[in-house]
Amino acid sequence: MASDSASSALADVSAADQNPNTIDNPSRYAVEDQLRSLALTEADDDEVDEPVPDKAPPSLQESTNEVANTDRLVIKENGLNRTVGTVAAERRESKAVAHSVEAGEEVGGAEVRESYLNEIAIVKAPPSIEESNIVLNDWRLAHDGNDPKKRSGIEVEGERGSHTVEHLKEAEKVVRAEAGECDSTLGDMQRMNSELEVDTLVSPSSSGYAGERGSSSIGSASEIDEIEEICEVRDDDLVDGIALSQAPWIPGKRHVDEDDASVSWRKRKKHFFILSHSGKPIYSRYGDVHKLAGFSATLQAIISFVENGGDRVKLVRAGKHQVVFLSKGPIYLVCISCTEEPYEALRGQLELIYGQMILILTKSVNRCFEKNPKFDMTPLLGGTDVVFSSLAHCFSWNPATFLHAYTSLPLAYPTRQAAGSVLQDVADSGVLFAILMCKHKVVSLVGAQKASLHPDDMLLLSNFVMSSESFRTSESFSPICVPRYNPMAFLYAYVHYLDAETYLMLLSTSSDAFYHLKECRIHIEAVLLKSNVLSEVQRSMFDGGMHVEDLPVDPSPQSGSVSPHLGQHSPETFRDTNAGIGGPSGLWHFIYRSIYLDQYVSSEFSTPINTPRQQKRLYRAYQKLYASMHDREIGPHKTQFRRDENYVLLCWVTEHFELYATFDPLADKALAIKTCNRVCQWVKDVENEIFLLGASPFSW
Amino acid sequence: MATIGHSNINAKLVLLGDMGAGKSSLVLRFVKGQFLEFQESTIGAAFFSQTLAVNDATVKFEIWDTAGQERYHSLAPMYYRGAAAAIIVYDMTNAGSFARAKKWVQELQKQGNPNMVMALAGNKVDLEEKRSVSAEEARSYAEENGLFFMETSAKTATNVNDIFYEIAKRLPRAQPPQNPAGMVLVDRPTEAARASTCCS
Repeated sequence: MASDSASSALADVSAADQNPNTIDNPSRYAVEDQLRSLALTEADDDEVDEPVPDKAPPSLQESTNEVANTDRLVIKENGLNRTVGTVAAERRESKAVAHSVEAGEEVGGAEVRESYLNEIAIVKAPPSIEESNIVLNDWRLAHDGNDPKKRSGIEVEGERGSHTVEHLKEAEKVVRAEAGECDSTLGDMQRMNSELEVDTLVSPSSSGYAGERGSSSIGSASEIDEIEEICEVRDDDLVDGIALSQAPWIPGKRHVDEDDASVSWRKRKKHFFILSHSGKPIYSRYGDVHKLAGFSATLQAIISFVENGGDRVKLVRAGKHQVVFLSKGPIYLVCISCTEEPYEALRGQLELIYGQMILILTKSVNRCFEKNPKFDMTPLLGGTDVVFSSLAHCFSWNPATFLHAYTSLPLAYPTRQAAGSVLQDVADSGVLFAILMCKHKVVSLVGAQKASLHPDDMLLLSNFVMSSESFRTSESFSPICVPRYNPMAFLYAYVHYLDAETYLMLLSTSSDAFYHLKECRIHIEAVLLKSNVLSEVQRSMFDGGMHVEDLPVDPSPQSGSVSPHLGQHSPETFRDTNAGIGGPSGLWHFIYRSIYLDQYVSSEFSTPINTPRQQKRLYRAYQKLYASMHDREIGPHKTQFRRDENYVLLCWVTEHFELYATFDPLADKALAIKTCNRVCQWVKDVENEIFLLGASPFSW
Repeated sequence: MATIGHSNINAKLVLLGDMGAGKSSLVLRFVKGQFLEFQESTIGAAFFSQTLAVNDATVKFEIWDTAGQERYHSLAPMYYRGAAAAIIVYDMTNAGSFARAKKWVQELQKQGNPNMVMALAGNKVDLEEKRSVSAEEARSYAEENGLFFMETSAKTATNVNDIFYEIAKRLPRAQPPQNPAGMVLVDRPTEAARASTCCS
């Protein structure tokens, strides 16, 4: 039983100080104990769960803090256990379980969900759940519920979360009817495929598109064919993804010829749309935006249907698909995705897309809609498809998109100081922000007094510059809006590439600043060349950052004082059993995010995670982990240990940092925890090099 | 403004025109001798400089290659303010871009430097078979409005250097020697005096 669970998804969330009273499901812990006894002898439940810092003084402080916070933790304990279930369920290959979870939510609300989930955390998936029920129950419309009086449907996620609302039932019924029809057509087919889901989503608004496509009346044989095809396409997409990240991703919009009638368009795994509140299309990730006018109008109809009821649609789940809505004044953003990313992540991506649009146009574009609600915004965004498609690509590889932190290029402290001081000179001469970057990594940046730059803005700025080929041909001077600095006004950006990958951005509030900024650049370039900063930058890009293989075996001189908590382990257990693969103790990868610095460092991908497909999968796993740790309703959490067939993920969040680490799926838990402590110590030891310190333009 | 000193002329030149007319391609052909079949759209404006020897003078062009996208139209004055010369570019296979060029000419006549040397470039002349703006029509429009006109091709380099040479040649004649606007110091003392009276 124990080993069986170990190979399946056994997830565990543990608080800093396990209070026995809060363990509401003893059997789960029994399994855990058995597991543990397989790996190591007499490990104490309490002590192993927490990555207790064994030597390092900084992390030792963490542990005392956590003890002090025991009360708070106990209160959160219930929530933590709920997460256990969700996490476990979500990770399962067997979709039936995930569905039944949804079903549970629909029927019984939070309590049912909780107990049910705790159960499936141990018990294997019930093999037979009728698909038809699942599909029906799976349809769920969730809303912002600001006014409690307006909540009239079934509560799904507790007090302030999403819930089904009565007045949406009508629309839902139509949708369900369609879904049911599809379902019966499909018979034993596992799921509704992407195309059907899109169709059923569309149909309630009766745009006529569903009819044209005739999706629900297609014979079952052809359905099956299509589904198989879609699976193939998905594989292709992954292969495509490999090409994208290995051979440098080629910017530019693809598949412009498609529209919502194209089979290929409907098979895309992740769509992004921007539309106006009158339903005019503004941007679509795939396909010709003008041909998607009908589809856009449909999305608008769904949004306004809910808005007319005094509510706001956040999320529609349709089988494997999630439709996420975000409305920003007269602009609506929609994501349709079957990537199984968490809602929060997709919503964050829509926020970034909106930010990117603001960066190009400023928020004053809203005035155009005040004057003319039917204003067509597409010409205003002319030529920026590459910017958005490159951002969408970022969502599958750049951790900055969900960590809300930036990453610095590793450099020797004096080298970075040299770059920083010359940028500071420039900032003192009236430049608002001076940013020196190499690809998406910051070499140095300086802001004028009191001016601070949000990490999200940095991501959007660097994406804008890197995706526009025009900046590479010569020096440029362009109006740019920095959304978190001032969404209403343009700043003027001087952009110049110092070499193929290193570029300088100088931002000024004055539209006449070009010649001054140009002189600043000449000065900066001369100093950087003289002090060899540019060659150091290139060397660092070549060498890469932290490699897990280099994790110091004995990171701290105080190693003699082994923590009493983890002291039971004999030294042999520290032996690297996976020599040659990844780092010590089966460490494969980690991301360390410093809260104060707004920066993160991600280790280089090592042997087991060397294909882009694996990297993307790990990226998604981190994304999910981040969302589960920062869940607004039941979080934030402190630690999480999660094991599945791909890897062991360990997350540790303190008020100073967040650590996300990936281990071999067979890695020992206690060792993993110990290794995490070593990683934190290692990061501390080299923080001068891997982080930009003392720039402190970040007031938040 | 064009400045003359020791027969060295510094001249700010701006390229205006609809997106896709070929402004960047013309500049890149002129400055770097390059041509890209798929030139990415310009963001804001790109700055180039190139020096030409004309007769006895040396003309240093400071070239602003502006973006043709609609969102940048309102920002164009930022780039053409104080320019000694402008090339208004249209795509001769696209009548819409010619209409847009006429609007740029109007705007420059109203708001630009009155002594500005203006050239009208009908670009993509290598695509003769797709022509939709006749040379005669463009030439007569140019003459009426005091521009000089050339049909160019950045792809084949036809007339590219010529149009810049022609501008360089016309510059000294169009531009009477004077201090550039940014360097006028005469007003300063009065301003300072006013300020001091304010304070006292």
